[in-house]
Amino acid sequence: MLRPLLIAVVVMLAVSVVSADAAHAVWSGLVIAENVPQPAAIPPELTKFEQTLKDLFGYNQFEVIGQSNKTLKTGEEDWLATSKYFSLHCDARGENEGGYNLNLTLYKEKDALLQTDANLSRSSPLVIKGPQVGSGQLLLVLVVKEDDHGQTHRRHRVEPANPISAGFNRLRKAVHRLFR
Amino acid sequence: MKTFEEKWTAWLDGQLSGRELVEFESSLPDLAAAEAEKRNAHKLGAFLKKELGSQALSNEEFFNHQIHERIARENGNPSRTTRSTWWTIPRLVWSGATALALFLICSVAIMRQHETGGQSEYLTQILNSTVDPAANPNATVAIFETKSDNKVTVLWTEGLQTLPADYAAK
Repeated sequence: MLRPLLIAVVVMLAVSVVSADAAHAVWSGLVIAENVPQPAAIPPELTKFEQTLKDLFGYNQFEVIGQSNKTLKTGEEDWLATSKYFSLHCDARGENEGGYNLNLTLYKEKDALLQTDANLSRSSPLVIKGPQVGSGQLLLVLVVKEDDHGQTHRRHRVEPANPISAGFNRLRKAVHRLFR
Repeated sequence: MKTFEEKWTAWLDGQLSGRELVEFESSLPDLAAAEAEKRNAHKLGAFLKKELGSQALSNEEFFNHQIHERIARENGNPSRTTRSTWWTIPRLVWSGATALALFLICSVAIMRQHETGGQSEYLTQILNSTVDPAANPNATVAIFETKSDNKVTVLWTEGLQTLPADYAAK
């Protein structure tokens, strides 16, 4: 009677560990928003909230001038998304139930323009309105994505997570921590 | 404690004796009828022995060979048969169902445990924010969340120094 139960537990742990391989990646982008007569297609990372961005800022084109796609393994990595003149330094300071604790600094060349601490949720993107640049606007966008085996793909989780998948993610993470 | 049927069978076979025999016979409602039935049973037994006992097997050697082979097969590899009984389909089904049940129980338990966090844990939160006061003395910041399904958290700055279009270069 005990052996089927043991097998079941082993199967469950195996399934959880396999699914725990799907790590998270943070996409950080420096985006110039502006109004142009013939707007280019929106970058794939922003498609999920394209309308929200248009409604918020009133621009019809969003062009990525610098980006970084960082897979987080420990939740304590740091990285840079850079363009010619701007750089966004992201310093992850740990992972919690709500997402990743990030310290973000926007540099204009060597000058720090803006600094912020944020808890970046896996299901809610962060948009920071930067300075006006010419006729456009600099935006900083951070999105958490699922990342399988370190390779990013275009799947976003910008909707509020449904309770079942949220529960599954927590379970997966708990089991994953056991095997670290 | 023997049942009546067991005692009856033993009595028919003549295996009851002594006090047990006396007690059983006294418990019978009609001893004479029972004796008659006993005689009939013996007659039937004798008849069956006589008619069926002498029937010989037509393929005796083949039958023996089959039996010997089967015995040898079963004796020769006992561990294999024992092991194979473990991964039967019903057991696999039960294991799967138990795993699923455990998973659901754990999921529900963990979900309930964290339910107190509510929806806020699904949203990005800005903890603090500062703008370089030297370069942007009039800058202000505001934080809000969009009402759309995407729940975008926005840090809205005003009064930052405007930069020339060259700064939009990649």
